[in-house]
Amino acid sequence: MKHRWKTSGLPGWIGFIILMIFLLFPLYWLIITSFKHNMDIYRFPPQFIPRNFTLANYRAILNDNSVVRYLFNNLLVSSGTTLLTLAAASLAGYSLSRYSSVFGSVTRTALLSTQMFPIVGLILALYVIFRNLNLINTRFSLILSLSAVTIPFSTILIKGFFDDIPRSLEEAARIDGCPRLKTLFSIIMPLSKPGLLAIGLFTFMQAWDDFLFAITFILKDSKRTLSAGIAMKFLGEVSYDWAQVTTVSVAGVLPMFILIFLFQRNMVTGLTAGAVKG
Amino acid sequence: MTRNSKTGDRLFGVLLLVPSILIVGGFIFLPVIQSVYYSFFDFKLTRKKLPLLWNGGANYRGLWESGKLQNAFFITFQFMLIVLIAVFLIGLLMSLAMNKGRKAERTARSLALLPWGTPTVIVALLWSWMFQPEYGVVNFLLMHFKIISEPLGFLVNPDTALASVAVAAVWRQLPFMFIMLLAGLQGIPAEMYEAAEIDGASPRQSFWHITLPFLRNVIRSSILVTIITNFKQFPLFWTMTGGGPMGRTETLAILTYKNAFVNLNFGVGAAVAASWMLTLILFSLLYNRIFKEAEY
Repeated sequence: MKHRWKTSGLPGWIGFIILMIFLLFPLYWLIITSFKHNMDIYRFPPQFIPRNFTLANYRAILNDNSVVRYLFNNLLVSSGTTLLTLAAASLAGYSLSRYSSVFGSVTRTALLSTQMFPIVGLILALYVIFRNLNLINTRFSLILSLSAVTIPFSTILIKGFFDDIPRSLEEAARIDGCPRLKTLFSIIMPLSKPGLLAIGLFTFMQAWDDFLFAITFILKDSKRTLSAGIAMKFLGEVSYDWAQVTTVSVAGVLPMFILIFLFQRNMVTGLTAGAVKG
Repeated sequence: MTRNSKTGDRLFGVLLLVPSILIVGGFIFLPVIQSVYYSFFDFKLTRKKLPLLWNGGANYRGLWESGKLQNAFFITFQFMLIVLIAVFLIGLLMSLAMNKGRKAERTARSLALLPWGTPTVIVALLWSWMFQPEYGVVNFLLMHFKIISEPLGFLVNPDTALASVAVAAVWRQLPFMFIMLLAGLQGIPAEMYEAAEIDGASPRQSFWHITLPFLRNVIRSSILVTIITNFKQFPLFWTMTGGGPMGRTETLAILTYKNAFVNLNFGVGAAVAASWMLTLILFSLLYNRIFKEAEY
């Protein structure tokens, strides 16, 4: 181990500390701004430690129905997308792993190529499609479009996990007369839990992050999700209400931070499983 | 195995793919094809009933003659390059420094991941707040350390706007690059370094001849992800600058969206979209070709 690259003494440590400050100070700033009184927020020089600590901004947010609704809608859309993606991607990934065919390899190439298409480029045509389907202003339109974006990556990722499960399990099940679908659900899926967890987490995070679909397909405030809601509600006015913006932001960031702390290991294995194999 | 079970296998394999094909086909491939199709038509959302009027390449010509398409390509490319270089170099140094797995470093590692979990719009808002001209903390710090003498309007000044958005992008993407490279480093067997040292290799030599070659796959995929992410970056620009000041942050994504949903001119928006989709596809084909040739 000691032959790996060593932090080169003092300069290395200073660089490391500057980097950590760069990464963490903005989050500290976000959080303390949300605990400051409005008059302290617009003070220059700014207070690096809030002198008059207050919960007033949080109380205001909790009493504001629309913010609670944004959070709820975001949770609904992200969970829906995660479920749909898990279902579709695990089936497709299994098929690509086990039943190789020309059709399968065409599908695989097609899925990989979607990573290249910019969403902004296709969103106007997507808008026309949803308008024809009467899905504008529905959260379902967000679930469908987000799933279309997350399924390809998830399929490729979960295929890698299935590839690591020995085929002899299926052969044994077949000899015992177990139907294919039952083999998949009662033997293979339980063994792929880490992979399913990883793609579920990525999908949830990506759906939680959505802004573009939400500002384009949702025009009613009651159906808005978090990112779109914050941008529309608090940034439309002439001067921004930074106390409110930072407080809502903390609420939007917190679920992601909890996920990272709980599942950091699973995410890292998931992310790198695909990349290291190439 | 009977013939019957073979056709059964084939059918089962195809059936499993159906849900994904329907969703991805219907909501990605179909709109991509339609976008390209619309780009040759006079298609404005303001008209209720739409007889699409073929106008040949007028959308493309108009964009080219106004110089907006070239400008957007230039800005997008500039942005992508700044972010890529910063993220890759800093990420590489950071992963080399933290590749030890001591307990303190593991905690630092999960803290360092937090920006990656911050939703992009919140990243944009947070940095807008810190870059704020009158009360912003960045101005205060830079003035305090005597780097600048008077407050800067980072996002409204044409000279600093693009770089300021790039800082926000680097902040969010650095953890991803770091984690990918770190995982790659940890996959390198320690014996390689031991053997190199016995053979008298200097640390620099082992870096160029062991570390980098082993990291090739990881570097290839994380650089591609970074390039694509920044090429299509939308929320940061839309929230922080909206394409201003004076078009200095008007990327391809912003130009597409403005034409389609602000000017309500789908035809022109689609023309912008089609030109950069084509660029991305050509680029990624070329990219994989280059990396394949470098293989040995």
